[in-house]
Amino acid sequence: MSLQDLCHWLQNSEWGTAIRESVWLFPIIEGTHVLALSLSVGTLLVMDLRLAGLLLKKEPVSQVSNQLMPWSLSGFAIMFVTGILLFLSQADKAYGSIWFRLKVLFLLLAGLNAAIFELTLRRRIATWDTQEIPPFRARLAGITGMILWAGVIAAGRTMAYNF
Amino acid sequence: MSLRPFFLWADNTAVSAAIRDSRVLFPIIETIHLFALTVLFGTVIVLNLRLMGVGLRKQSLGTVSRALAPLTFGSLAVMLLSGFALFLSEAMKCYENPPFFFKMTMLFFAIAFHWSVIRWLVRKNGTASRIVSVLAAAVSLTLWFSVGAGGRAIGFY
Repeated sequence: MSLQDLCHWLQNSEWGTAIRESVWLFPIIEGTHVLALSLSVGTLLVMDLRLAGLLLKKEPVSQVSNQLMPWSLSGFAIMFVTGILLFLSQADKAYGSIWFRLKVLFLLLAGLNAAIFELTLRRRIATWDTQEIPPFRARLAGITGMILWAGVIAAGRTMAYNF
Repeated sequence: MSLRPFFLWADNTAVSAAIRDSRVLFPIIETIHLFALTVLFGTVIVLNLRLMGVGLRKQSLGTVSRALAPLTFGSLAVMLLSGFALFLSEAMKCYENPPFFFKMTMLFFAIAFHWSVIRWLVRKNGTASRIVSVLAAAVSLTLWFSVGAGGRAIGFY
């Protein structure tokens, strides 16, 4: 079964059909998706700005990220679940949409960016935790994260238009 | 007093026509609106988490508020400007759109609440009782999320 067949099957699954045909389900799920976005990416933004040395400079990086990460992850979990549901309801359209593919690409790159940071600089955070301007690669990770998430948002929004 | 003349005027400005005539202007402005929403709601959420004592607890309310206020204020300005441009492009659609009026009402209360009660609590810098702080944060989040939900509903109505 090809990826296209899989998308077609998902779109016509019980859940996909139910969400697409309901007057209320799609708007409610999408509204929740957007509000969870502000929780997840909004808190991430504060962490990334600290990492970039642009915000809360007097506060240790680890304090800012440790206290906000649970909220960011909760928001991300809601976004992920609602996102899957939205995808089910229009998997055929998503399959053919360059914007959806870009969104997935940006998401993967954002994950990669975070993973690289966690496995490298984050391991040695004790040595730079209190620096007002963190090391170059930490700043780079913060700024890259913000750009990639902006890409995720823009591509996601553009998906809804029929260009 | 009918608001119809105002909406008719808004629907007929040069900006309205320019946005309507372009295929890409509306999506671009809306994406900017959504970027600003992420920053505005993000900073409001973090401030309210601090107020409730469940996020950035190790930092004082004053520290968190001082750091975030320029972002909150700046993104609100971008939201109002981009929102006004979107409104101009479809003012008569908004006129017949209940979610639009719901959104504007909630927006008024959200801003008023933020610049009265929330600011008052920030000035007290943590000396207000926990219950008052938690309640105020809950009201603030409910108001802002109502603005967001109302805005999303405009497009679906």
